[in-house]
Order: sequence, then C-alpha cells, then structure tokens
Amino acid sequence: MAYNRVLQWSVMTRSWWLYDAENQCAFKSARKIVDYLQGKHKPIYHPLSDIGDHVVVINTKLVAMRDDRWRKFTYSHHTGYAGGFSRASAWRLHDMDPTKVMHKACYQRIKGNLLRPNIMRRLHLFPDDNVPDEIMANISDQIQQIQIVPKQLEDYSQLERDNFPQIFEWPEKEMMPKKKQPELLQTEDT
Amino acid sequence: MPSTFVKNVVQNGIGRYVCQLQRVKLTFCKTAGTSRGVRDFVENHLLDFTNNNPGVVVYLQPKRRQPAYMYAEYLNGYKEKFCIDNMNKDQICKWIETYRSRSGVPIMRMRKQWHTDTPSVQGVWHPFMFKDPQINRKTFPNEELSRFLPAEPSATEQVLKMFEEQKKEIPSQGPTKKLHSKDDVLQSK
Repeated sequence: MAYNRVLQWSVMTRSWWLYDAENQCAFKSARKIVDYLQGKHKPIYHPLSDIGDHVVVINTKLVAMRDDRWRKFTYSHHTGYAGGFSRASAWRLHDMDPTKVMHKACYQRIKGNLLRPNIMRRLHLFPDDNVPDEIMANISDQIQQIQIVPKQLEDYSQLERDNFPQIFEWPEKEMMPKKKQPELLQTEDT
Repeated sequence: MPSTFVKNVVQNGIGRYVCQLQRVKLTFCKTAGTSRGVRDFVENHLLDFTNNNPGVVVYLQPKRRQPAYMYAEYLNGYKEKFCIDNMNKDQICKWIETYRSRSGVPIMRMRKQWHTDTPSVQGVWHPFMFKDPQINRKTFPNEELSRFLPAEPSATEQVLKMFEEQKKEIPSQGPTKKLHSKDDVLQSK
C-alpha cells in the first residue's frame, strides 16, 4: 500500500532535465525543450493535468543560428505608447542578454494561453555552465542535443591530424596564413 | 448531471425484495385542466396501486391553481420531485411504476462503462521506468548523455572508413606514399 502511495508521488512529480545549448540551433532546441516543459514526453500527458518538467539550459551564450540569421532575424517590441516600436537583430539582442534568444524561442513555441507564464517559469536559462548547486542537485537526466557540435581544428590532437589521409601535402608557400584572433573590444571608459 | 463510476451493490444484491419506494405525494389542482390526468389517475388507478403496494404510503394534496407534482421518497433518504403536469392517466401510471421500481440511488452519468480492480497489468508509468540505472551514478553535465547521435555516418567518417579498408586490402605495400606537391600528383598520373 505504501509502495502505491510513493509510486503515485513519483508519477506526478516534476523531474529536472539539463540541456546543453552549445552550438545548437535555438529554434530547433526550443521545439524539443518545450515538449519537456509541458510534459508531452510523458505517456500520462493530458493538457488538463499540470505535469510539466523543469529544464535547465546551460551555455545559452553559445547557441547557433543557420546561415546569416544572426544578422537577418529580427525581434520586434512595442511598448504600447505612440512611437514605442523598436526592433533589434538577433545578434544585438544576444549581445544585450545571452539568454534572451533561447527564452523567446521557447516562449513563441508554447501556445498562448494562461498556462504559458507558469510553464515558462520552469525554464531555467544560464549563459554559461555556472549553475547554482541547489539547482544542479535536482537534475536527474539530460536531454539529448539536436545536432552535432562541430569540432575546431584546435580540438584535434597532432596525432589525429598527422594520421588523417591526404592525397598530397601542400607546400608552405601555398598554405593559407593562420588567421589572427580578433582582439576583444575595450568597453572601459577612459 | 453528476457523474460516477460503476460501483458494486453491497452484499451483491442478494436477499429478499424490499420495495425501496416508501412514500409518494401527489399535489394537484381540483379544477385546473393541467391536473386532469392526475384526477383521472386518482379516480381510476390509485386504489389498484395502493392495493398492490401496501408498503408505499400515498398522500394526496390538492393545491389550488398549482402545477401537478409527484414527490417520491426512498428508504435511503433520497427524495425526488417530478412534474406530472399536463400528463394523461396512462403516462402517470407508467411514471409512478418507474419510480416504484427504482432503488433510490440517484441517476448519474457513468464516466466508464466498466470497472476493474487491476486497471494496469504492467504497472503505472513513472519517470524512472525503462531508464538505465547507471544514470544515478553520473555527474551532470554529462557529455555522453548529451551528445547527438546521427543515424548515418558523416562524409568524413565514410572517407576514413574507405581509407582503412584500402589499407587492409594492400598490406604488403604498407601505408600509401604521400606525394609532396601538385607536380608530383601530375607526374604520377
């Protein structure tokens, strides 16, 4: 009897999931995360039973967008007052708040009804992997990413680079010079 | 209408028959046309009903210029009011017979037409069903759980695999000779 009672607590409980947004498309990730937030991944799902899970998203600073959508995709906002319209490109919004793009992607995915604010409260966004310990202690499982994280040349070891098959070796003079890393902009006031 | 689930009758419903209807009150007007059927019923069929059902108390209450009603009271305390206005005596005979044969349990909508003590044979789902128990020993964030697993190998992986197979086919020659420039490639052709 006691087992059944505990089993029911377990069925109706909200579990916590972790999602790593590094190099993941924000919109496609949102499509997956929103299912977990609403509890649609559970076989006992019903729109009237409030059984959505918590999702902790880390590395939202590193979300990806296809093509040149960082430049072309725009977010509009209106304050409600005359002349209150403003529009920001995705890269600019991301620059202002690195969690905003992910938040908006999830928000737009959820159906606009009175449940949406409470569903969004169960989404926890962090720009990097610094998550408070009390949140990290809740996590019981991780959501699989939606695309491969591409590897940079620096990520391969020298041995892997040497063993990679190649038809011929480029001579030194024909090789591209290594790109210089752009220096970070100094924002301090002088 | 209130709803309910299928329930079993206590003691399986086996025992002697007790008429659950205990009391019937008929209110009607002595002159109004809408109570005509009730008056006909009282004159023609009421005594037959009382003779056949000595356990049921019947009250008759004339009320001036009021619609005709039947009030039924059951052994379990359930009471029901039923309008018999504008009915003829045959209809009233049928309705009073319906009320006599009822058990006194309110009529409710059945949410399910069946009942079982074991709704799920395989057990109720819970968040840890079909999950690898090894997940309890993992620390998060976990790269292995998070990584996307593509259904098909990438073009690079396919090339590498082809290269490995080529090396197996000609083991005597050893690793393929690397050519040092474009000119070498052209010469080899």
